[in-house]
Amino acid sequence: MKTFELHLPKTLDEALALLEAPAATPLAGGQDLLTELKEHLVAPDALVDLRGFQGADKIELAADGALSIGAGVTVAALEHHAELARRWPILAEAAASIASPQIRTQATVGGNLCQRPRCWYYRNEALVCLKKGGTECFSYGGHNKYNAILGGGPSYIVHPSDLAPALVALDAEVEIASKKAARRRVKLASFFTLPAEGDVLRENVLVPGELVTAVHVPAHAGNWKSTYLKFKERSSFDWALSAVAIAARMDGGKIAEVRVVLGGVAPRPWRASGAERVLTGRAVDDAVAREAGDAALAGAEPLSGNAYKIPLTKGLIVKALRRIGGRA
Amino acid sequence: MILREQSPQDEPKTPPAPGKKWQRVTVAENGQEVEKWIEVDAASAEGWPERAKMRLLNQDITRVDGPAKVTGAAQYAHDMRAPRMVYARFLRCPKPAAKIEKISLEAAAKMPRVVTAVSLGVEETRFLGQPIAVVAAETPDAAEEALRAIEVAYGALPWVLTHEQAVAENAPIAVKRKLKEGEKPGNRVDERKSGDRDAVRAAIEAAPHKVEFTYTLPVQHHACLETHGVMVDFRGGGEAVVHASTQGTFTVHDDAAEKLGLPAAKVRANVQYMGGGFGSKFGLGVEGEWACELARRLGRPVHLLLTRADEFLFAGNRSGAVQKLAGAMAADGTLLALDAEVDKLGGVSRGSFPGQPYIYKVGQSSSAIRYVYTNTDGARAMRGPGHPQASFGIESLIDELAYLAGQDLLEVRKKNLEDKVYHRQLERVAREIGWYEHPHRAKPGAHTEELGVGIGFAISTWGGGGSPACQVDVRIQRDGSATVTCGTQDLGTGTRTYMATIVAELLGLPATAVEARIGSSEYGAANPSGGSTTVASLAPAVLEAALGARAKLYAALAPALKTKPEALSLDVEGLLDAASGKRMSWKQLCALLPSEGLSARGEWKQAHAGRGVHGAQAAKVEVDTLTGRVRVLKMVGIHDCGIPMNRLTLKSQINGGMIQALSYALLEERVLEPALGAALNADFEGYKIAGTLEMPELVPLVDDDDTRQVVMGMSEAAIIPGHSAIANAVHNACGLRVRDLPITPDKVLMGLEKLRTQS
Repeated sequence: MKTFELHLPKTLDEALALLEAPAATPLAGGQDLLTELKEHLVAPDALVDLRGFQGADKIELAADGALSIGAGVTVAALEHHAELARRWPILAEAAASIASPQIRTQATVGGNLCQRPRCWYYRNEALVCLKKGGTECFSYGGHNKYNAILGGGPSYIVHPSDLAPALVALDAEVEIASKKAARRRVKLASFFTLPAEGDVLRENVLVPGELVTAVHVPAHAGNWKSTYLKFKERSSFDWALSAVAIAARMDGGKIAEVRVVLGGVAPRPWRASGAERVLTGRAVDDAVAREAGDAALAGAEPLSGNAYKIPLTKGLIVKALRRIGGRA
Repeated sequence: MILREQSPQDEPKTPPAPGKKWQRVTVAENGQEVEKWIEVDAASAEGWPERAKMRLLNQDITRVDGPAKVTGAAQYAHDMRAPRMVYARFLRCPKPAAKIEKISLEAAAKMPRVVTAVSLGVEETRFLGQPIAVVAAETPDAAEEALRAIEVAYGALPWVLTHEQAVAENAPIAVKRKLKEGEKPGNRVDERKSGDRDAVRAAIEAAPHKVEFTYTLPVQHHACLETHGVMVDFRGGGEAVVHASTQGTFTVHDDAAEKLGLPAAKVRANVQYMGGGFGSKFGLGVEGEWACELARRLGRPVHLLLTRADEFLFAGNRSGAVQKLAGAMAADGTLLALDAEVDKLGGVSRGSFPGQPYIYKVGQSSSAIRYVYTNTDGARAMRGPGHPQASFGIESLIDELAYLAGQDLLEVRKKNLEDKVYHRQLERVAREIGWYEHPHRAKPGAHTEELGVGIGFAISTWGGGGSPACQVDVRIQRDGSATVTCGTQDLGTGTRTYMATIVAELLGLPATAVEARIGSSEYGAANPSGGSTTVASLAPAVLEAALGARAKLYAALAPALKTKPEALSLDVEGLLDAASGKRMSWKQLCALLPSEGLSARGEWKQAHAGRGVHGAQAAKVEVDTLTGRVRVLKMVGIHDCGIPMNRLTLKSQINGGMIQALSYALLEERVLEPALGAALNADFEGYKIAGTLEMPELVPLVDDDDTRQVVMGMSEAAIIPGHSAIANAVHNACGLRVRDLPITPDKVLMGLEKLRTQS
């Protein structure tokens, strides 16, 4: 890999100042960035190591469910936080589904949200695809088994993060800092962009110099149940072929309010509003769940090799709703 | 030497040659056991100890080198370092075929820490990823970076990557070859044909139950944990050591010496530990050749171990297969006819395939075996070459026909297998997997259920015989230490352990009291480890050396003890003189030896080895029809091998075979991009191998009903049937037949959708 300068700032402000330099890239757990460096997909002049200062690795959980997670919190810390697992099982389940124990120990929440796609055309240095400044998304006419069925075009990547759908289901916001502007908060749901909406070279609204510093989940009054159900081709260590994140406020046996977010099927976490409408005010059995699944996938436009993601996601919705209803 | 086939009961009437005697042995020929009388040396009347008296053999013995391996003390070729050593890396051609019009190395050679950059002199590449240049540098990173500074002008050449591209009309020719008279050019080449196809087709047409389907298997990678390569320790003097990751200690040093410009006697191959080969690591290879060439040019040690991407692109693979099978079954389950058209996909090589109907007996059969060239890395031998492919075709077809005929899936196999060993083994795995309590024995489960549980069976065959290749030395010293030495290599199967165990068994010592020395071309000769031939070639020579050493020991001690050698025997309590009833400890008796101790050399004896390995495996799976997930719940395997040298490592081989087969069934597949000429999963992220969470309950069974008092190698037999059993179990669970491996959730879900619309 190309030689680069490594900065070890001692404060966030120092880090933000360093990130002002062109081609300076933030480094947290490095689980994606180091791979991209080794695969020659990126060649930054400088890396700014974010692990040298305090405060970014805290999890704060209030009694009302409000939650702040520092961007530097490791995926393993999220996975093993006992109180959090009781309050928001969706997050512990999403964290536990990621990669391997070794990677979870290094990988951070901020890095997980900002990681780049895994599409094998993108990851192949020799293939200059749309995501790398080329003119074509090779997955469209190629081996697209792992690509998007919703929200695709002109690029058909799927967003690789497992934490993202889970956090969107909790209506989370990300806190963004930069040297130039005041800190801002953005709904995680609008943090991610579709290739047709924004810059096809990026997956979110961050601009150079900006850094995700924390994720905030608002207070959730009432009886909330949540779950993250991820389906991997290889259970031991894999990305999602499809994943379902559900957070629901229960009123007796009925769902009073619900967010259903799909992972692994679209270029960003995919809010399944149709399914939410089906479920709201209903007691959920498998028949209702199937109805919700049909609604969630109604707009799906599969490519030549990924139509299976439609029945798969519908199946996962049924299984995830069993968990919400305490039936599994 | 086998003289003739005789009646199994009677000893031949002709007297044996002087110094020989008759011995009856069991051998396997064409999947069937044959009893034969052979002549053996009268002097080697002693063979393997009786099983009932074995203390160490046929027991569970932990590997003697286990602690070194798990603590990291074991040094592999990758770990070897030497002063002034350079690291070398290959530049691969990124296209399936290209003319190398110009290659500029200057910029690379001038980069910091780079020592040299060399063109391999390839004018036209033949396959995707073929190495074309090599760089040596002070660090691996510097070598990698320098590769990127090499400028290559590629001229376009046409190519084909996939089976579909290769067999298309007017496809570009992947491999130029001489055409036979009247033969049309093309990538598909006839290899062998058998049977009367028209007659077979007519028989199928007339039969009550018939099917015709195409079964395909992907290209599988060996995926050795340690990549291919060597560290050549040459420092510009008159000798060199080649630390090699190889399956054949003696397949390396001759060619290495030639490349290094040294006499063969001055080059030593060192193979103490090697991280997996599975058939892909014989000879010096392009990596070893260039390591030696660079070492010679530089006068410095060279470390050239392939990268993981190299490994996927030019270190061999298991050939894929496309099999069109048409078969017919009688109402009673008898296989009436089979016609097979098989395309092997071995890249620029031919690939492997043993033939159909593989092990089963079929009324009449015909087959056409062909190989199809593509511009991809050539296939190499891989554990049971060709057999897993043949197994998948025939075992799938049998189940499909059995369901049509309403036959029990276990009984239908027995009905079409003459060799009773298979009946015994199939019944054993059937009991263990719960077949007799299983609800779907002649009809699959319903696809309308959310969860279905199914069971499948498959069988295997292997030779596993040995040959006269090994020279083994046993040495006993005055302080009581004992060593057993041979230049052989341990692929991880436990070679060191059984070498020590055999000697310890005969000398009455604990297994840990004998040190096994292997992996040096300066030791006694040995065959390369291929075809599961190691144990049947090596163990008899170890036995002979141990018997020889023991005889010498008795002869040396008898005068001092004033007794006859025949009166002496060794057991765990030391030496016993049957004449006087006196005992002496091992330490005491060794102290009586002359200062040089004693040693004996052993060579292979036919009588100690056999061949003819069978096997049966069963798999139980759960299919989730909502998600397409196939979860293997349990696998059971049994393989006979004569005397188990070590029950623990034998069970490890069965487990390993079942695990590799599970991975082949559900996950492994090389993916190429035919439009762009690229490899999409030349890494462990995209090339998925089963991990811990995929592991089922594994039940490896030792076949104690096999009483053949000989040794044979069974490792390859263990990888042959597992994936077929899993595919059959999937069908049995939910009625869905997946005819192309791997059985991934997308195929299961789309297949189930199709079943739903059909019903």
